[in-house]
Amino acid sequence: MRLELFSTHKKTYLTFILIGVFLWSLLAVNWDKDLFHSGGLSTLFQILEALFQPDLSKEIILLAIQSTWITLSYAVAGVGLAIVIAFILGILASGIFFEAGPLGSLFKTIFRGVLGFLRAIHELVWAWLFVASFGLSPFAAIFALALPFGGILGRIFADMLADVPEEPIQALKSTGASRWQLFFYGYFPIVKTGMLSYTMYRFECGIRSSAIMSFVGLGGLGYQIQLSLDDLHYDEVWTFIFFLIAIVVLIDWWSSQLRSKWTHSTKHWFLPFSSLLTAGLLVGAWCYIYIVDRASIIELFSTKNLEFAKKFFANMFGLGDESPAFFNGESWKAAISLTYDTLRMSIMAIGFSTVLMFLTVLPAARNVANGKLTLTRRWYNWVSFAVIRVGYILSRAIPELVWAMMIIFIFKPGILPGAIALALHNFGILGKLCAEVVEDLDARPIRHLASSGAGKGQILMYGVLPSVFPQFLTYILYRWEVIMRTTIIVGFVGAGGLGQQFKLSMSFFHYSDITLLLFCYILLVWAADFISEWARKTVK
Amino acid sequence: MASSNIIEAKNLKIQFQGKIALSSLSFSIKKGEKVALIGPSGAGKTTLLNTLATIIKPDEGELWIDQLSFKEMQNRKMLAKKLGMIRQQFDLVDQLPVIHNVLAGKLSDWSLFKSLLSLIYPQEKILAMNALERVGLGDKWSEKTSNLSGGEQQRVALARLLVQKPEIILADEPVASLDPARAEDVLAILTKLVHEEKQTLITSLHSVEYAKKYFTRIIALRDGMIYFDLPAHEVSAKDLASLYVLKEKV
Repeated sequence: MRLELFSTHKKTYLTFILIGVFLWSLLAVNWDKDLFHSGGLSTLFQILEALFQPDLSKEIILLAIQSTWITLSYAVAGVGLAIVIAFILGILASGIFFEAGPLGSLFKTIFRGVLGFLRAIHELVWAWLFVASFGLSPFAAIFALALPFGGILGRIFADMLADVPEEPIQALKSTGASRWQLFFYGYFPIVKTGMLSYTMYRFECGIRSSAIMSFVGLGGLGYQIQLSLDDLHYDEVWTFIFFLIAIVVLIDWWSSQLRSKWTHSTKHWFLPFSSLLTAGLLVGAWCYIYIVDRASIIELFSTKNLEFAKKFFANMFGLGDESPAFFNGESWKAAISLTYDTLRMSIMAIGFSTVLMFLTVLPAARNVANGKLTLTRRWYNWVSFAVIRVGYILSRAIPELVWAMMIIFIFKPGILPGAIALALHNFGILGKLCAEVVEDLDARPIRHLASSGAGKGQILMYGVLPSVFPQFLTYILYRWEVIMRTTIIVGFVGAGGLGQQFKLSMSFFHYSDITLLLFCYILLVWAADFISEWARKTVK
Repeated sequence: MASSNIIEAKNLKIQFQGKIALSSLSFSIKKGEKVALIGPSGAGKTTLLNTLATIIKPDEGELWIDQLSFKEMQNRKMLAKKLGMIRQQFDLVDQLPVIHNVLAGKLSDWSLFKSLLSLIYPQEKILAMNALERVGLGDKWSEKTSNLSGGEQQRVALARLLVQKPEIILADEPVASLDPARAEDVLAILTKLVHEEKQTLITSLHSVEYAKKYFTRIIALRDGMIYFDLPAHEVSAKDLASLYVLKEKV
């Protein structure tokens, strides 16, 4: 009986626990005036003012176009390589090529572990490690993108392949098809559309990640944003950001067009056009990298570089160091306290994003804006819809790191600016995903509520929340995993936590410290994945 | 063992987690017979078909399929020449055009290269088109399979079997989710093709009426045992009534 009571109220309990955890995370901050820089508020005002007066001079526009191309070509090359990695590892990790049995599941677990390791480390950390070991080369950016993206894509591919319905596969088996024939006639056609749309989504993310590769000294839009911020030229900053938003929005449009045309029964010209565009982008990107950037793979593996890399990794493992950080009690203490801070920062960030999402999600849903869901039509519904949707786009098109670079002008270093930067980026994504859930709602019960006179708040409490809650929670937990992975990045620019220390140790060449910090970071990421999966299963 | 028997089963016994699914089944099926398996839900019809298809290994007893040795039965390509399967609807890859689903029946003969090439430029297209003509879908070859109706999809599965040309066809509720008109249509085509190709057919069915109309022999299963095994025209209404009667509650 008691257990039954628990299981019916599982969701309620979980919600209260999550709210409690969020409130606890807020205690990590001293809420007083000391949070702001003196003059921080006037800087905020200047930044906002510049938003409406971006620098549109010819030099800046030309520079922006050039940087956009660099960002785009690194992203294309990196994600292209990631697809290859994901394809191979994804097939192996799905287990479809192994016989059922202990050996098969062992291989499956191993390849899943490899994918997990690749995606646990953020692309910027990979980039930093590559730059530190191989030197500045476009390949540092490309490989840094390819590894974690390959990990994420591979994991999704593996899940999709493992979820393929059994019946058509069994039927193909009974026609005597070999394993590869099963793959090309069964598995692949079934998962193709899903793979494509997820890959397009990751490509959009790849653009943002490519933009922030600048942080370790590689060119592109992020590099220009950083230079302009250092010169306090906020009007230029916004110009570059608008270019970044423009490509993100374009790719978003491309992928939604592709998805809608794909399901048509007849072939649409958009499909061959997309294939051509993809091929063109790939060729263009690699040509640029080889010919204009003069990057060479052979040089990357020159004896000089290998010597460097060897030294770097030897240092990371503390060889030749008299007291490597991971054998030092004091270092451990410091690292654990930073880990604790980072955890609280991530919770604060997802908490802020969730609050902002809840405040905006209803007016941001198309079926609320056109009055179909609530049966009330007001002219201002479309205005609020448009404003919030533009806000979402702005929020998610700007990478966390860029948000952090701006916010650090206003707040003093600490975990609050980090959490705010993470929240600013994630609330747009969360809002978009959750608004889509509301748009897919079954409208009948809600209309009934509306027609019996329920107000907006009541509709939210009784009609919308119960039906969307599980999906929202899934997205919130999923974004929390992503945020956890990104905490280290905002730390790089002084927004506190493990990342800040990581950067300091890099500057002081304390390589064994870095190993310790990375270890804590990976543990944190894995813990977050584990907790979020557990919570998701609980509400199911 | 008489050489005209294409399938021989002796004391087949299968258990799932301690529950008996099939208990000591023995029967033989001659070449060219059209057998309907009937019986209430859970009687073991699907289990028996899966056992004949060698997807499930019997816990006890022996099974001979056209004198194939155990080793030969393990070889999927060789087995595909002997046995073909059709189930309720979900046999096809929805996302592929119809013609590739039909040509999948040829995969055991094709090299990997040829099967990949075929996805771009259909190989042995005439063969597939003939099969589609015979099931009355000649004009639908380039459609996406998911756009076809349930009955049409079952006919595509039949066309695949025509291309595969197995000696024995095992059909598990091939018309379960179709409306009566389409169900009769699919069964009529299936039995006609089997007759023309001189194949052997074993089909599980819910409908006794179809079993009597289209099949030569009826095997009734109940609780994992053979309840009766008679030529179709000898099955009486009394037999059927007692087959489907609910167990008396104690």
